[in-house]
Amino acid sequence: MSRFSLSGNWKKGFKTQSVMKKVVVLSTILFVFIIVSSISRADELEDLLSGFEEEATPTTDKDSEVDLDELLGGFEEENQSFTLSDDPPESVLPDWLQLSGSLALQSTVNFSQQAPLPGQPDYRGLSMFRGVAELLSDVHQDNWKARVGIAMFYDAAYLLNGQRQFYTDEFLDQYESEVRLNEAYLQADLSAKLDLKIGRQIVVWGKSDNIRVTDILNPLDLRWPGLVDIRFLRLPVTMTKLDYYQGNWNLGGMVIHEPRFNKFPVYNGEFYPFLRAVPEPEEPEVSWSNQQAAMSLSGIFSGWDIAFYAAYVFDKNPYVSDLESGQRQYANVFFGGGAVNYAVGNWLLKGEAAFWDGLRFSTIEEDKQRVDMLVGVDYSGFTETTITLEFANRHLVDFDDRLSQSPDGQKQDWQQFAFRLTRDFLNDTLHFTLLLSSYGIFAGEGGFERFQLEYDVSDNLTLTGGVVLYQSGDFPSFQDVGDNDRLLFEVEYRF
Amino acid sequence: MEQVDARDDGDNQTADLQMTLIDQNDNERKRTIKLFSKDKGRDTWRMQFFLAPADVKDTGFLTYDYYGGDQDDDQWLYLPDLRKTKRIASSDKSSSFMGSDFSYADMTRRVLDEWDYKLLKEDLVDGQKVWLIETLPVSKAVEDRYGYKKSIVYVRQDNFMVIRAIHVLKSGNKVKYMEVKKIDQIDGIWVAVETWMKTTRNKRTLHRTILTMDDIKYNQDLDESIFSVRQLEKGF
Repeated sequence: MSRFSLSGNWKKGFKTQSVMKKVVVLSTILFVFIIVSSISRADELEDLLSGFEEEATPTTDKDSEVDLDELLGGFEEENQSFTLSDDPPESVLPDWLQLSGSLALQSTVNFSQQAPLPGQPDYRGLSMFRGVAELLSDVHQDNWKARVGIAMFYDAAYLLNGQRQFYTDEFLDQYESEVRLNEAYLQADLSAKLDLKIGRQIVVWGKSDNIRVTDILNPLDLRWPGLVDIRFLRLPVTMTKLDYYQGNWNLGGMVIHEPRFNKFPVYNGEFYPFLRAVPEPEEPEVSWSNQQAAMSLSGIFSGWDIAFYAAYVFDKNPYVSDLESGQRQYANVFFGGGAVNYAVGNWLLKGEAAFWDGLRFSTIEEDKQRVDMLVGVDYSGFTETTITLEFANRHLVDFDDRLSQSPDGQKQDWQQFAFRLTRDFLNDTLHFTLLLSSYGIFAGEGGFERFQLEYDVSDNLTLTGGVVLYQSGDFPSFQDVGDNDRLLFEVEYRF
Repeated sequence: MEQVDARDDGDNQTADLQMTLIDQNDNERKRTIKLFSKDKGRDTWRMQFFLAPADVKDTGFLTYDYYGGDQDDDQWLYLPDLRKTKRIASSDKSSSFMGSDFSYADMTRRVLDEWDYKLLKEDLVDGQKVWLIETLPVSKAVEDRYGYKKSIVYVRQDNFMVIRAIHVLKSGNKVKYMEVKKIDQIDGIWVAVETWMKTTRNKRTLHRTILTMDDIKYNQDLDESIFSVRQLEKGF
């Protein structure tokens, strides 16, 4: 359903234009990738072309001698007189303290949006012009360490594009500026086999890289689908974590003190999937009764790893508990799961499974159960290239047809695909990433494609450019996002 | 070559590595690594923590390098941006190590039986007598795994150290030149403390790397627990 009330033909015309644009952009990107790839393939081409010469002039013993002499002479050249630059100055900080972080300027430009209706923000053109800063301080002592991380941003796009007055305060609160405490923890070795980590932290479960089936402990920042830097995607939560190690096994136990939830797009923004604003969910307070618990058992062996997980936590996604008022809440859910990977040659095979109980929806009273399965593979057999393919199916047990109605909009099975290709060029100074994320086959139920080139100007400075294309679909967070295609640029300095 | 393979290259080693990567325009990038290494029979366990530059800081790389070619190495990479340890499955050792001219194969020990050897001649390098030995992979699989269709190694006759090597890459019409610029004897073990590697095509240098090792220590009391995913995630 479109956000705007438009006639079918008008919409169809725009949809056709949008598809055409995507085809043109996609073709351009593929062309650029082929050109970039050919940089490294030029060598092979040269080899191929020179093959004619080898045919015409068969090698003789004398030639071989010359080749050997040429080879051996390769040591004598200009680098004998090469002088290295001085090492950077020593840090003035004491050994036990390290400061690191980054400063970045991120910008996106939308190119598929339609003209706005009166009183609505114009999403065309500049959609992000954001200064981002992150500061991490690490303190190390013998058997313990501590970290505090702060991240902040200010987005000037809403001032620069003259659209600020069309946004709600709630939107600007979330999208214009933010200062947040990220990780803040104390980590200690209690004994040779026991570790303690207490504070705001990130705990990653599972073996997959793109689709989350068992990686459920930390909520995600989903305000900009497909655009959030992986460093800031997972939101740390406050917990006490104990790890016990015995041989190849690690038993972990966690008490999660802080209820923290996914951050979703806000009404008034181009990624917001509904026609009207819905009330903010009631967030449970930090209290004894709202403590959550989780445990894991992980084994690491030669060639394969396995892990089992269990948790009693809040569902990170809210449900509408009162259809009349639109009031939303978070349900307590039980989660059980496992993950395994197996390495053979250049292949890494991955599998994950999860069982959820206690899921709540708006259109039915009873709790539901869901079974999620994932299979995936990484292939690293091409030089400087990694290819990842993952597929997941999420199956609602005893599906009730009412669940397909708004606002739940559920199906019995959701399929999700992810394909990622990364390749490094020019001695790891140029990095190409292609990420295709799709609900349903060929993004039929929503998805996005991200193409990105990252160039390391120096050890500290990186330039990034790319494009993200979106497809609308029935998957709840991908309804009506298809016009959000955008170019992205970033300059980042890390220290 | 058996004597080269049998040479005492130390055990329970710690060292600070610095790699300087230099492109055709003489632009430099530097990588700093803390290395821990332990022999387990003929296998080697290796833990590397990347200390600089900022974009790789806190990255850790743990390898169980199995000497026999019939068992794939175990490798885990800790990615600090993801707060995650990832198992790496790659029997292909020809890829560049951290963007340098050294490949993963160059950073590990060659399996003796996977190469055929031929003595080419004797020569002098910096006044030292050396043997020049041509090595050829015994199979296409070995060639693919190492990425070299031929190597010529210079072996010092007095201490059986490889002080120079020429690697002819299987593709790209490229040749790599390795040269040990500085050696030192630490705890009775000869060690290359400065090694240059350059990649050339048609005699033109495309890129080069200078690998230096400092603060090298052998026979350290390195507990096996250092070579674990637990330590990888805790960092150095």
